[in-house]
Amino acid sequence: MTAARLSLQTVATAAFRLRELGIAIALLVAIAIFAVQAESFMTVGNWRNISVSVAVVLAVAVGQTMVVLTRNIDLSVGSIVGLSAFISADTLSTHHGLPIAGVAAIAVAVGIACGLFNGLLVTVGRVPAIIATLGTLYIFRGLVHEVSGGTQVLAFELPASFKAFALREVLGIPALAVIAIAVAVLGAAMLRWTHWGRDFYAIGSNPEAARLAGIPVARRVLLAFTISGGLAGLGGFMFAARFAGVSASSGSGFEFDVISAVVIGGVNVFGGVGTVLGAALGALLIAVIENGFTLLKINEFWKTAFQGFAIVTAVTVDALVTRRIQEALRQRRRREARDAARAEASA
Amino acid sequence: MSVPTGPPLVELRGVSRSFGGVQALSDVDLRLRAGEVHALVGENGAGKSTLIKVLTGVHQPDAGQIVFEGEEQRIGSVHAAQALGIAAMYQEPSVFLDLSVAENIYAGRRPRGPLGSVDWSRMNAEAGAVLAELGVDFGPEAPVRGLGVADRQLLEIAKALSVNARVLIMDEPTSALSPREVENLFQVTRRLRDQGVAIAFVSHRLEEVNEIADVVTVLRDGRHVATQRASDLTQAEIVRLMVGRSLDTLFPKEETEIRDVALELRGFTRHGVFSGVSFAVRRGEILGLAGLVGAGRTEVARSLFGIDPYDSGDVLLGGKPFRPRSPRAALRRGLAYLPEDRLGQGLVQLMSVAANCSMAVLPRLTRGGVLRPWLERRLARRFIEQLRIRAYSPGQVVQTLSGGNQQKVVLAKWLAAEPGVLILDEPTRGVDVGAKADVHLTISQLAARGLAIVLISSELPEVLGMSDRIVVLREGRVTAELDRSAATSERVMEAALGAATAA
Amino acid sequence: MTASAIAVARRVVARWEFVLVLLILAAGTWSTTQSRFFLDTENLLDLMKPYVFIGLMALGLALVVIAGEIDISITSTLAVSAVAFADFWDRGLNIWLSCLLGLVVGMGLGAVNGVLIGLLDLPSLAVTLGTLAAYRGLAFVILGGGGAITGFPSDFTRLGLRDLGSTIVPIGLALFLAATAVFAFVLHGTLFGRYVYAIGSNREAARFSGIPVDRVRVTIFAISGLMAAAAGLLYASYFATARADAANVALLDVVAAVVLGGVNIFGGSGTIVGVFLAVVLIAVLRNGMGLANISGEVQSIVIGSLLLGAILVGNLMRAARDRHTGQGFLMRIHERRLQRGKHNRPPRTRPGLGIRPTKGAR
Repeated sequence: MTAARLSLQTVATAAFRLRELGIAIALLVAIAIFAVQAESFMTVGNWRNISVSVAVVLAVAVGQTMVVLTRNIDLSVGSIVGLSAFISADTLSTHHGLPIAGVAAIAVAVGIACGLFNGLLVTVGRVPAIIATLGTLYIFRGLVHEVSGGTQVLAFELPASFKAFALREVLGIPALAVIAIAVAVLGAAMLRWTHWGRDFYAIGSNPEAARLAGIPVARRVLLAFTISGGLAGLGGFMFAARFAGVSASSGSGFEFDVISAVVIGGVNVFGGVGTVLGAALGALLIAVIENGFTLLKINEFWKTAFQGFAIVTAVTVDALVTRRIQEALRQRRRREARDAARAEASA
Repeated sequence: MSVPTGPPLVELRGVSRSFGGVQALSDVDLRLRAGEVHALVGENGAGKSTLIKVLTGVHQPDAGQIVFEGEEQRIGSVHAAQALGIAAMYQEPSVFLDLSVAENIYAGRRPRGPLGSVDWSRMNAEAGAVLAELGVDFGPEAPVRGLGVADRQLLEIAKALSVNARVLIMDEPTSALSPREVENLFQVTRRLRDQGVAIAFVSHRLEEVNEIADVVTVLRDGRHVATQRASDLTQAEIVRLMVGRSLDTLFPKEETEIRDVALELRGFTRHGVFSGVSFAVRRGEILGLAGLVGAGRTEVARSLFGIDPYDSGDVLLGGKPFRPRSPRAALRRGLAYLPEDRLGQGLVQLMSVAANCSMAVLPRLTRGGVLRPWLERRLARRFIEQLRIRAYSPGQVVQTLSGGNQQKVVLAKWLAAEPGVLILDEPTRGVDVGAKADVHLTISQLAARGLAIVLISSELPEVLGMSDRIVVLREGRVTAELDRSAATSERVMEAALGAATAA
Repeated sequence: MTASAIAVARRVVARWEFVLVLLILAAGTWSTTQSRFFLDTENLLDLMKPYVFIGLMALGLALVVIAGEIDISITSTLAVSAVAFADFWDRGLNIWLSCLLGLVVGMGLGAVNGVLIGLLDLPSLAVTLGTLAAYRGLAFVILGGGGAITGFPSDFTRLGLRDLGSTIVPIGLALFLAATAVFAFVLHGTLFGRYVYAIGSNREAARFSGIPVDRVRVTIFAISGLMAAAAGLLYASYFATARADAANVALLDVVAAVVLGGVNIFGGSGTIVGVFLAVVLIAVLRNGMGLANISGEVQSIVIGSLLLGAILVGNLMRAARDRHTGQGFLMRIHERRLQRGKHNRPPRTRPGLGIRPTKGAR
């Protein structure tokens, strides 16, 4: 019986590990196909491109992961990226002396304010996260238009030092990718080592039990949204640096890349399950696909279709696997019952 | 071997609590002493759960005092109870499926490392120690989703152990455990007792009560009946104390003509839930399905009605084979089930009396899919009159009715479907006395009209008073089938408890 | 006499629909101060034209939300249907046959959502979030890129632009009114509508009552897809073009119309009249703001705030009422979730029973 039990436990554990392994395999397959099909795919320059485009998504996806872990969702991140990108770049265009860190700080501050607003709507206002952030998706986007008045921040308006920053490299890795990696490592560490990080998992896993265990659920959810907002703000800064310019529609639809990275990466939409590593793999997969499609001159809308399809598949597979495990447990009890009955009969 | 005289650690004095007119506890005294295992026994609904919930701060008493170490305390919340060192574990564990065992044990109070971070090694080590003490075969790092319910139960025990509780309440902790696990648990329980923990132990298994308890308190109908040394009581005496009550309520049981078999089960089995259940109900007959909570009565009914799957066995409805698939299919064959959970499964609270009454027969009241509200109102008026539902109009929203009247609306819904077989699951739970009599009268009249009725009830007098025949389930198996004339409280309880009363 | 009149008046005033009428009047009054053109009969009748497609989607979504689910893929379904319709026509099919096929496509996409949600019991939010992206991509795939199909015959484009016969009522508005009437009848007057409410307020009880819950849930999403397709045709007709990015920012208005219309976001209640009035309110507001030269994106700040405000006010009112009755709002939400969740979880069993050799029985 012990052996059966242990093996079952291993199966259950493995099924969840498998989730990240599956996405890693998909990634390798995609890379292999593109490497064969497009000769410029496996070049240093191209991987630099990929790393920069994955960087912005990843930074924001770390925050989204935390929100989804608590059984919520943040649809407004694309608009927060736009708003913080515009405000920070706009400020920089009129104050050329502003240090890079100052620009980033402005962007993050804008993001934190937005995230706090989302969090308050969900916790204090008790608006379901999907509706709350759908509303703020449009409200924040409207604010970008209001602030910009239809104008753009163009590259020539930005100081050379800012434009140079995006091109800088550390040990051959683009600065933006370094920032994203730092955010991801930090985020993963927080989720692993801090009490609030573990609380996210507990809340998403069983909100009622979390409350009974004395976990301050509302404060933690607020924190998750605030972090998500702050990282979306940081994403805005990275966005402005990457494209050296911002328009009122910058970052529109960006929430899709982020959410699909998170969901494809195995962060369960029911909360409680998922890792930053998974989200990072998801983000990388999307960036690789987008890049490969571009190189193969496949229209980019195929990427959108792929993302949607991948989300539906991920959700379906996750739900069915969970049910399968539950069923396996019932089967085990059934075996035990039969054994017990036999033991009773022979006694 | 005298009742210990030391001062109690926790004392309840004259505690009463009622829920919407139903007196769950009245004037109950209880003393839990350090270093003592105190068993609480009683029938379903005797007040054990409520008593525990008062101790753990889930419910507040309407009257009476709680005294902890000689000082009167108000236990206003679960946290207040925990702060006093009162820990509880329930039969249905509420766990974090996605977290590890150690995290489940320490949720909300994980050990802190030097930087205030989660001290995983200490947490796993401490959890491991607790688990080792329990003698379980899973480690602190195992994911809880991979554990069976029995293991989750042990996890709850580990949680209670890890807080160094001074009072430990165990609410049917053994119901899902194997004998080896029970033995483990008892060893730990004794060790805790010897360390000076006061333990309240609730169980339906009387042999376990005899084995582990130092003191036994018997509750009946929300009242304290007796507190005695366990060694002074035999199982038979405990059963007598539990049921010791005359059938003072008059049940309006009509003599009916019992006709052909309407429903028959042969070897009905759902693995791990119930097995080999066989019985038959005839038209005009009321068959009582007795047993303790968790004996599998509701589960049999659910599978029969097509809500849960079943694994094997045959069902005959009116002599013809029937394969339960869905409630819809069951209703079509004239089988109706009035569920246990009135709020969750029986009623749409926000809809009117008429809409609820007509819900199961709506297609019959429509033409081409178009509602004909006047027919619904007529139907509702008929049942309002027939069942004496106290609603001012068929349009009244069900939420605003009293519990008894809500129950009558659910009953009306199923009667409207004019079933041949009606399964009633706890039809009078939470219903006030007057409405109860109405429901009983209706059930009796229905049987007289030729309906076959399966009555699931945890109230022994109700089963005894209403049934023509009683089938007793214990742990998913039929343990007795008694005729009305042969059925007594004691015999039903014996079959339900598996008690060795002959001894 | 007067007492009963007051009672009737009180009941009317207490209704959410009455509040919506007041809001429409207020928005209208504000609009007249922004432009003297607002009160022109022509403007009053025409102002609904660009919002008919919003209204059609809102009707379908209302059905979904009342049943306790959500469908955020509708704007993408709209695009696929419009593009598919145009593509059929472009390939030489009869325009009306193309319309019919467009409707079928939309219904099919909705049914896909329905099967995933209703039969596999997946969360509607996650599924439709996925199909929101997948269908949008599909629209581009059908069109083979970011272009547009234009040049529809005037017989078709007059649907969205012209008036009905010799009257001054725009055809689009007439269609919306007709659809509203049909939905009001279906929801409030048929078996199916009753099932939708029952499932939305207590799915478990609905199932126990023999209601074909799964079938109804699949149907609801198919209808939602159908309405999105109808909206897509109107959209193509009004703008005389079919593009893959059609209506990609319309989701806010649709959700806002449903929520503002008084449909409970947790399911189980709401009226079609309310949704209709909310669509009118949004149209009047957007029209007025347009006359005041406020850009569409900035208008969305107002609509978004209205959406959130409506829920916040609803929650506050409920909290106040529950404080009055001594019942916590959170507690009730929790209970509802429990009720609804029960169906999702694998059946609760009491394992272990029967596992154990029965000591006493020997």
